[in-house]
Amino acid sequence: MTTAERARHLARAAQQFPLLGETTPEMLMGLVEAELGEAGVLDDFVPRGPRCIRAIAPPTILHIVSGNTPAAGLQSLIRGLLLGAHNLCKIPSGGLPELAQFQRVLPPALAGKIEIAPELPPDWLERAAAVIVYGSDATIAHFRAQTLPRQVFVGHGHRLSFGVIFDDPGHARIAAAVSDAVAFDQQGCLSPHVYYLRGEARAAAAKFAVEMQRAEDRDPRGPVPLSTSNAIRARREEAGFRAANGEPLAMWTSTGSTAWTVIYDETPGFPVSPLSRFLYVKPLPVDFIPEVAAVRAHLSCAGIWPPTLEHARTLAATGVSRICPIGAMQMPPWTWHPDGQPALANLVTWIDAEVLGGGANVFL
Amino acid sequence: MSKAIPDYLELESTILEALREDLGEGEFELLALTVYRFQATWNLPYARWCATRPPARTWQEIPAVPQSAFKRFVLSVAPEKVTTTFRTSGTTGEGHGVHPFIDVRLCAEAERRAWQMLALPRASLFVLTPSPADAPHSSLAHMMGVVAGSSGRFFVAADGRLEVGELGSALEEAIATGEPVGLLGTALSFLNLFGRIRARGLQLPPGSYAMETGGYKGSGREITKHDLYDMFGAFLGLAPQQVLNEYGMTELSSQFFARGLGTPHEAPPWLRAVVFDPETGREVADGEMGVLRLFDLANLGSCLAIETQDLAIRRGTAFELIGRDPGALPRGCSRQADERMQAP
Repeated sequence: MTTAERARHLARAAQQFPLLGETTPEMLMGLVEAELGEAGVLDDFVPRGPRCIRAIAPPTILHIVSGNTPAAGLQSLIRGLLLGAHNLCKIPSGGLPELAQFQRVLPPALAGKIEIAPELPPDWLERAAAVIVYGSDATIAHFRAQTLPRQVFVGHGHRLSFGVIFDDPGHARIAAAVSDAVAFDQQGCLSPHVYYLRGEARAAAAKFAVEMQRAEDRDPRGPVPLSTSNAIRARREEAGFRAANGEPLAMWTSTGSTAWTVIYDETPGFPVSPLSRFLYVKPLPVDFIPEVAAVRAHLSCAGIWPPTLEHARTLAATGVSRICPIGAMQMPPWTWHPDGQPALANLVTWIDAEVLGGGANVFL
Repeated sequence: MSKAIPDYLELESTILEALREDLGEGEFELLALTVYRFQATWNLPYARWCATRPPARTWQEIPAVPQSAFKRFVLSVAPEKVTTTFRTSGTTGEGHGVHPFIDVRLCAEAERRAWQMLALPRASLFVLTPSPADAPHSSLAHMMGVVAGSSGRFFVAADGRLEVGELGSALEEAIATGEPVGLLGTALSFLNLFGRIRARGLQLPPGSYAMETGGYKGSGREITKHDLYDMFGAFLGLAPQQVLNEYGMTELSSQFFARGLGTPHEAPPWLRAVVFDPETGREVADGEMGVLRLFDLANLGSCLAIETQDLAIRRGTAFELIGRDPGALPRGCSRQADERMQAP
C-alpha cells in the first residue's frame, strides 16, 4: 500500500473521530511532505540533489499512551500508520477505547498493523524500532532507561498550556477561550491552565465564569475521581481564605459541585490548575518572561488573540512550542511539531543512493 | 497583653478539664462553638474568612480552615504572644506550614491523656525520632517527649541518624531481662531499623508493642501497611495487634490511634472527624470514602477546625485511614525524619 493510499484510508477513518479535527488525505500527505521533503519518499527513491534518497519507516513502533485524552494517542497511531509501520499500542489500564474503535474502521491491511494491550507484553519493547511514550516524567524516565541503543526514543511529558488575550473588544473571544479549556475536560497537554488578559482582566474573569456555566449546561463535565474533587475543593478553599484576607483574588464556582471554577488572581507566577474545568484568569504582566520562568521547561501551547505574528513574537522566548489562535488550541494541524519535535522525521532512517538517474551526479 | 489572653486562659482551664474520657456530645458541642466564636473574633485571618460564611450553629458547621492556610498566614488568636511554633516538613517545594502556640499546656495534656486512654502495658519506651530538645519545631518530637516522659530514650541523634548500635544494645538488654519495650517511631524510621537488623527473629518480651506514624509519599520507599506489619512480626516478634498507628499532623494538638490491621482510627472525645464528599462538602454515608475534616478542642490558640486533603472511609464516628490523596503534594513528618536519617 502506498503512502497516498494509507493517507486516504486514514483520513476516511479519522472523519468518524471529530476530536481529531478536520483530517483529509491532502493534510496527511502534506505532513509527509513537510517532514520528509517529498510525499512519495516512503514509497521509492526520489531525486535529491546529486543523488536519490528514500525514507525507511521503523518496522515497528511502540506507543505508550496516556489516558488523559484520546487525541494524543490517536494522532501518534495515525502517524505510525501513515509511515507504514506496525504499531504496538500500550494503553492505560483504565482503557482508551478510541484506539480499538479506530482500528475497527480501518481496512484489514491497516488494521492488521495495530496491536493494542492494556498491559505491556514482555516482548514489545524488544520488538520496537521506535518507542514513543506519553506520560509523567517518571514514566518517561522508566522507558527511556529501558530503550536499547538501536531504538529511537521519543518522550512526551506533562505539559502546561495557556492563553493570552491581547485585545478583545466586548470580550467576544472568551467563549472560544472557554471552549479550548473545557474540551477533554481540560486533560490535554494543549488545555490552557490560565488566560492572561491585557486590560480589564477582572471583569473578563466574570465573563469567563458565565461562559463556563454555559459550557456546563451545554456539555456537562464528565465524572471525576475523588482525588480530583479533593484537589479542586482544596484549591477553592485556599483561594477563598486568601480572598477573605485581602489578597488580590476573586473566585466564581459552580453551585453544589466542582464542575467548574474560575479564579482571578493577580499574584505573580504561573498558576498550575488542578484541571477538570478549573481556570485561572490573570492580568497580563508587562514582562511576561519571569511570569512563566518556573514552568518554562513544561510549556507547550500558547493560544493568542488576536493571532498576529507580532503577538506570537512576544511569546516566542517563553519556551512554548506552539502558538495558535484562541479557539483552535485543541485542534493542532497535522503538520504541527508535537512538543516542538518533528512528528515523522525523527522516526525514519534514510537510504542515500548515488546512482544513475539521480540528480546531477558529479561522477558522471 | 493581648486582649485575647484573659479569654484564652479561661477557656484553656475549661478545656483542660474537658480532656477526659466521659466528655459528652453536648459538652463537646458547647465548647467547640465557644472556641469557634473565640477564634472567629481573635484569630484575624480566620475571622475574616468566617465573616464570609454563615455563622455555625453546630460543631459540624464550624468553618474548617484549609490546611494550606497554615503556610500563608499566622493563624493565632494572639500572634504577639506565640511562644512555640511547630513546622510541617514542607517537602518538594510545598513550603512550610507553621502551627503557632501561645503555650503548649493543652497540647501536652491532650497527648498525655489520649496516651493514657490507650491503656498500654507498662514498658520501657524507646523512641525513633529526635528528642524535643533536638527538634524543637517538630510536633511529633514534642508528642514523643510527652508520652515517653523523662524515662524514655531517644535513638535518633540531632543530625537525624538512627543510633543503631545503642538501640540494638538496649533491645538485647530488654530481651535478656524480659522487660517489655514500647518502640515509638515513624513508619520510615522502622523501615530504616529493619534494614539495619542483621537477622530476623528477634522476639521482644511479652507486653511489648510498637507505635508507628506517618506515610511514605514522596520518599520513594513505599510499602503497604500489611507488609510493614509483617516486618514487625518478622523482625521484632510483634503481632499486628501489638502495633498501633498514630494519625496526627502538625496543625493539630491531638491524635487519632488505630490498633492492628483493618481497624478504624479512633479519637479521644475532644477530637472529632467528619468524612466529607469534596464534591458537595457534605458528610458521606457510613462506609463511603471522602476527605477528613477535623475538630480538635485542644487547638484553642489557632484553629479548632481543619480541612485536610487526607482520604478516609467513614466507620461510624471513626474512620479507616486511606491516607494522603495521591493527587496532593507529598508531605509528612515521616518523610522529614527519613530525610534526616538518609543524610550523609
